[in-house]
Amino acid sequence: MVTPDYYEFGSRAHIIAGHGAIEQIPGLLSSMGAQNPMVITDQGVVRAGLVDILLQALDSRITVKTIQDDVPADSDLKTVHTLAGQYRKYGCNAIIALGGGSVMDTAKGVNILVSASSDNLLAFSGANALTHALNPLVAVPTTAGTGSEVTQVAVISDPDNLRKLLFTSGFLMPDAAVLDPRMTLTLPAPVTASTAMDALSHAVEACLCMGRNPLSTAHAHEAIALISHNLVPVIRQPDHKPGRLALATGAALAGMAFSNSMVGMVHTLGHAVGSVCHAAHGTCMAVLLPYGMAYNLHKTQHLLADLLLPMAGADVYARTHPAERAQKAIDWIHRMNQRLHQATAGAHAVCLRDIKNQDGKGLVPRHLLPRIAHTALGDGSIFYNPEDLDYDDCLMVLEAAFDGALLDLSRVKKG
Amino acid sequence: MTDFMEIPPGRHYMKRWYLSCMLWFFGRAIQAAARVDDGVKSEFAAMPDNFTFCLGAFPSGPYMVVGKDARGRVRYLGSCISDRTIHLHLMFKNPALLFRVFAFQESTSVANARNRLYVHGDVPQACAVVRIMDMIQVFLLPKFLAKRAVKRYPAWPLKRRTLVRAQVYVRAFAGL
Ligand SMILES: [Fe+2]
Repeated sequence: MVTPDYYEFGSRAHIIAGHGAIEQIPGLLSSMGAQNPMVITDQGVVRAGLVDILLQALDSRITVKTIQDDVPADSDLKTVHTLAGQYRKYGCNAIIALGGGSVMDTAKGVNILVSASSDNLLAFSGANALTHALNPLVAVPTTAGTGSEVTQVAVISDPDNLRKLLFTSGFLMPDAAVLDPRMTLTLPAPVTASTAMDALSHAVEACLCMGRNPLSTAHAHEAIALISHNLVPVIRQPDHKPGRLALATGAALAGMAFSNSMVGMVHTLGHAVGSVCHAAHGTCMAVLLPYGMAYNLHKTQHLLADLLLPMAGADVYARTHPAERAQKAIDWIHRMNQRLHQATAGAHAVCLRDIKNQDGKGLVPRHLLPRIAHTALGDGSIFYNPEDLDYDDCLMVLEAAFDGALLDLSRVKKG
Repeated sequence: MTDFMEIPPGRHYMKRWYLSCMLWFFGRAIQAAARVDDGVKSEFAAMPDNFTFCLGAFPSGPYMVVGKDARGRVRYLGSCISDRTIHLHLMFKNPALLFRVFAFQESTSVANARNRLYVHGDVPQACAVVRIMDMIQVFLLPKFLAKRAVKRYPAWPLKRRTLVRAQVYVRAFAGL
């Protein structure tokens, strides 16, 4: 890769990974002088019995003051304010965030309020609005996807104003990310598939988008290899601990990569589908990833070609003519989605039309595509995408992804 | 602090003067294009009335302020940011970084990807302002320079490339 003549990269993530990792939490919190944590989690995690596993791992050094297990699927302002009140009421001095992206982002929001002794989260939204270090926060992810355990970003929705608030600050990086394979063993196959595809999209976009640099690319390539080689085997054998740990590690690496290089149009369009249709983020990412790669092909051919090696392995890479490697990488993602579709008995969506809610009702109707395209134009990630996107471009990509058709590359405007 | 020696700024006068001129003309061109070009018009139509944004450099400028008044008319509001409420700030971290963009050494999107500017305000509105800036650059610059400034040089219809562009130029000079 060509080294840019200027770049920035930062990651002070402290990662504790492997079997028995959560048993390290008491020592970790004690060393920070924070023995009275609040546990923030959600109902799904409780039902899976993961809160019990966590509590068993804690010893006499730690007194859990309160367990708040009602975080909604989409972290919102109201929840953050309520939980901050509980934190103060019970006299907590640390947070253990046990859950997926929404739980971790909620915990970050709560930590902002309680550390700054504030009641107004809005005052801290945007880039670098925090000026002081926050209270201890330990993140224990129960999905291998968002990478929020190692990023300096939190996304919290403001439902009253129909918008998502973005918080970025070095202080938002959790003090430790604890990756324990026991925490993801019971994750259902479709969720394992979609969250891993979210992580894969972070890694791929980190390699292609405008903020890429040698350090983010190194993290992203390793993430792609770990996820690509372990995802389908884990779906087939869900209790495979080494595979689960590999996915968790891949998601964390991808998180470190994209929080430095940012993401592009896969997330631009995916965020819009999510906010207009309330489709799960990972599912949107899985469907849109190959389309984002194809749209940017003419600007990122050499970068995409390099991705074939970590994705498909040395044999396939060596057998493929250099000029065909980029296209092969795109085809490989399409094929990955097909394999996941089969391995999850059709639950993993391969096109927007197939995205359904729990009752089997389609979530993304065709008539909403224009609105999704319009919403996408207001998403900040659009600027990090290598090629420009206007309304017509967004709509063209969404229409192809709706039916699962290949993107007609002759219609991509090249300027 | 009596023995504190003040160091006067020296050779940056020229760059600062160049930037001030560029921002002045750029601001007037935005006002002009908002009158005559449908693309710029429709981006502004989506913004609320009494909306003001500024482009400039930390810590002390130069700046350019553009706003929509109570009747929805887009106006260039000068180079002073202290005497009015500004709803959206696009601020380069220092004047040298702003200069890189206005000297066409770096495109706005590359500058943004390199974390060279702060954006304070509503993100969808910031997106709209960047799109407006891209259109203005295509209007004002010869193709070989505009190609460096924007991600993708647009294929505009002949009328927009010639007649509308001429109107933008004339109005920007005349301040209409
Ligand atoms: Fe994502």
